[in-house]
Amino acid sequence: MRGTRHVLTATLAASALVLAACGGGQGESTDGTTTLTINVYGDSFSLPDNRSIYDEYERLNPGVEIVENRSDFSTHHQNLQARLTAGSGTADLELIEVGQVAGFVGQHDRFVDFLDRGVDPGQWTDAIVQQASTPDRSALIGLPTDVGGLAMCYRTDLFEQAGLPVDRDEVSELWPTWRDYVETGDRFLERAPDGVKWFDSGGHVFTGILGNEERTFYDRSGELIVESNPAVRAAWDLTVQAIRSGQSAALPEFSPEWNTGFQRGQFATVTCPAWMMGYIQGNAPETKGKWDIATVPGGSGNWGGSYVTVPAQGEHVEEAVKLAKWLTAPEQSITIFQEIGNFPSQRTTWDDPEVAEFSSPFFNDAPAGEIFPASLADAPVQISGPQSAVIGKTFADKLNSVEQGTPPDEAWQQAMHDIRAAAGAG
Amino acid sequence: MTITQSPPEPVVRGDRPAPVRRRTRGAGRAGWLTYSALAAVVLFSVFPLYWSIVVSSRDQSAIGRYPPPLVPGGNLWDNLAAAFEQGNFGTALTNSVIVAGTITVSVVFTSTLAGFAFAKLDFRGRNGLFTLVVATMLVPPQLSIIPLYIMVTQWFGWANDLRGVIVPTLVSAFGVFFMRQYLTSAIPGELIEAGRADGASTFRIYRSIVLPIARPGAAVLGLLTFIMYWNDLFWPLILLNAQNPTVQVAIANTASGIEVDYSLVLAGTVIATFPMLIVFLLLGRHIIGGIMQGAVKG
Amino acid sequence: MSTRRQAGPSARARLHRFDLKGAPYLYVTPFFALFGVFGLLPLAYTALLSTTAWSPRQPGSEDASVGLGNYADLLSDTNFHTALVNTFGIGLLSTVPQLLLALGIAHLLNYRLRGRLFFRMGVLVPYITSIAAAALIFNQIFARDFGLLNWLLQPFTGGTPIDWRASTLASWFAVSVMVTWHWTGYNALIYLAAMQTIPYELYESAAIDGASRWRQFWHITIPSLRPTIIFTVIVSTIGALQLFAEPYLFDTTQNNNGGSERQFQTAVLYLYQQFWANGRYGYGAAIAWTLFLITVVIALVNFLLARRIRSAE
Repeated sequence: MRGTRHVLTATLAASALVLAACGGGQGESTDGTTTLTINVYGDSFSLPDNRSIYDEYERLNPGVEIVENRSDFSTHHQNLQARLTAGSGTADLELIEVGQVAGFVGQHDRFVDFLDRGVDPGQWTDAIVQQASTPDRSALIGLPTDVGGLAMCYRTDLFEQAGLPVDRDEVSELWPTWRDYVETGDRFLERAPDGVKWFDSGGHVFTGILGNEERTFYDRSGELIVESNPAVRAAWDLTVQAIRSGQSAALPEFSPEWNTGFQRGQFATVTCPAWMMGYIQGNAPETKGKWDIATVPGGSGNWGGSYVTVPAQGEHVEEAVKLAKWLTAPEQSITIFQEIGNFPSQRTTWDDPEVAEFSSPFFNDAPAGEIFPASLADAPVQISGPQSAVIGKTFADKLNSVEQGTPPDEAWQQAMHDIRAAAGAG
Repeated sequence: MTITQSPPEPVVRGDRPAPVRRRTRGAGRAGWLTYSALAAVVLFSVFPLYWSIVVSSRDQSAIGRYPPPLVPGGNLWDNLAAAFEQGNFGTALTNSVIVAGTITVSVVFTSTLAGFAFAKLDFRGRNGLFTLVVATMLVPPQLSIIPLYIMVTQWFGWANDLRGVIVPTLVSAFGVFFMRQYLTSAIPGELIEAGRADGASTFRIYRSIVLPIARPGAAVLGLLTFIMYWNDLFWPLILLNAQNPTVQVAIANTASGIEVDYSLVLAGTVIATFPMLIVFLLLGRHIIGGIMQGAVKG
Repeated sequence: MSTRRQAGPSARARLHRFDLKGAPYLYVTPFFALFGVFGLLPLAYTALLSTTAWSPRQPGSEDASVGLGNYADLLSDTNFHTALVNTFGIGLLSTVPQLLLALGIAHLLNYRLRGRLFFRMGVLVPYITSIAAAALIFNQIFARDFGLLNWLLQPFTGGTPIDWRASTLASWFAVSVMVTWHWTGYNALIYLAAMQTIPYELYESAAIDGASRWRQFWHITIPSLRPTIIFTVIVSTIGALQLFAEPYLFDTTQNNNGGSERQFQTAVLYLYQQFWANGRYGYGAAIAWTLFLITVVIALVNFLLARRIRSAE
């Protein structure tokens, strides 16, 4: 039985070694390099094959190495919450989406307060800063990276086939309001190519309509107003009307089916925040030249955007703050806009020729550098609350159920029920 | 405590001794109908994997093609290489080997020890403790993830650390249960008594009588454990980041970019499945033998 | 063992006594020590959690005790009821065909076969495939617009594709297919092993009596397999109650909602959604414990039934 014992001893020793060995790998390495980790979702600062912005920082700051971890939107925010609760395990920098940020503002003592770190909040519009600040404005947990802005991307080829104008100014004139947009959808469907719908999904349109509202799910005092807010109900009713007249391709946002829909041209229009430009290019490269960008119904609106935060539990808070400031500085924001399409949140950059004169060949040379600032000029910044993201997802799900045949009233009741339950917890 | 998608199905037939009769050759010779039915079953079993190769050997647009492509295209190696790079699969494969390997060694070791005690030794509280073991198999693995997460990261500081994935799963209630059932029937009581009469200590009995007999059962348990933790997703997904993933976390991450290229995502699944397939092709005979032997002996 | 060599006779006797009494505890210690820390402790903590209104998004809620309030809410929570119905529905739809198929396949594999190993390995391939990988593949097969299955079904559906995530039954079916695909081969091998212990003479004499193969299967094979069948039923039932990965991954919107109307949201998925996505730690913990209790009750019923069947034999 000697053999057995040897095997046992060996394996135990091996596992002990392994356990000891796999502990390392974080923080300072032996040669004095500081490794800064940054957790993001999607394409925030880099693309899968392009991390030039980090390379640039490493070049300017010898001895610093940046490691980016990307995961999907839900996993990213859920894991961040778990790691904050547990008090360890966050990255040195963590990205938070605007719809999620209110929930984290409530835990501001777990983040570095940028007001203590010599950041001038004046470089962003007040409302954007407000969203990542405590109500009394005594702490700012995140630096704004990008804003959405809002426009309408449309397929010129499909418009032409349906006998609608193709020129972006004429197209913009088709829909001064969202009601006009839905009516144009009916016109489109009359002569639309087989199987092509007007828009991608009800949830997406619903969010677009609300993009022009300041008060949506919460009011300024943090009260939940979903049920009593006529704007929400109006957006719901209009979306339902569009769905019932067959305008929706019923492809839930960010699902694989949605991605395929872009590639296959299953819908003619999609509500387009600036970051959507990168999304379409990445997912449907073969549709290059078939897209153009018109103004959004209602003329203005905002959707999306993120903040870079530095959790207080990190080991390299100083270096992380420095990197966060650098990443959100105007020059880098412009680079990111050019490479990925995320629109910079500093107003000063909008007049910069590199932004203002930017046009996208993929979108028929649409002057994106003019369209998005214009949509933001009058856009309200929405008030969000701790469960804004959950509420948004609930509406997307329930509108999808209407698309699948659920009576709208029933779907609305269910949505209210779920929202009440979710918001009761925060 | 096991944190897994689904428990492996134990293969136990109660406490009866194994039948003495030799294995017989079933119920007659197979006809063509049997062969075609079995071929259909195998086709159904293998087809999804085949199809993942088809998709991963084409490009992004293949997923939206109608009718869907049914034969592989020419991009397989390019996609595998790209997915390997993007998904950090080099680290992922190493990590998965370490995680699944360490857990397997530990589960087999602790389960054999405890299984032996429950099966063949008399001690106060034996039944109560064993009931506890069985009861823990009923706990949904997702149940205590938050407390577990707090413990692992706060007490031990193991966030993003393989030790956090490994240590909570070093023992398995199923493993103890399995080895107990196996040893109960596999070891005749007289053998233990004979050992005792010779003045052998319990450990000596364990070493020279129990372990050799336990080996086939332990091998099966090891195999099931390895497969289970190679394929485990949720606990590693919570604990590990994309720089230090296991293969399943790596697959999940390739599907999570803003731009998702499904030929790459499915190339990732091919990379993750392939090592297991190779092991399976090499050891298939033993794996099947083990599962079946475990089923009869257990 | 060096200790023994050095010890005197009385010390030896003491050692022997300790060995008899103490050794068993020593052997179960590694298991129970680790299990206590990483199994029982979190379980107890979850129980404690379930009496609070803790949500990390609400500062200060950590210490807000609500007693059994969460459990009371759960009783009237229609979404939880839906999740339970889904769990049982999908459970039935996946377990019953799975075990029947496994029985049939085992029966086929039990014939004298050329290429025996090939067939046995073939049916086991799904078992070694991870659920994450399988789900990504099946998601493409069950896609509404360009899915493989809808393409195959075209002649029968007349051009209207089936939206596999939209209707309750269709989504249950799809999820069940994934579960069945994964486990059937494994169960078939277990049944096969059990079948091979049945003495061949039983079949021979039955054949002499003129019993058809079907009758042989029904009257010899099935009764002999009863203990094995009972066990696979128990284990599959427990597995079905804890079903999570397949419905989680089948909802491609990543909302953890199990479809737009919770068509295929299982109980554990609902727990996961409330806990993680909605940040309701206290409520999630209450769901966890309720589920645990339901599982225990069902397992107990199962065990008792099994014992009755066994003693009736």
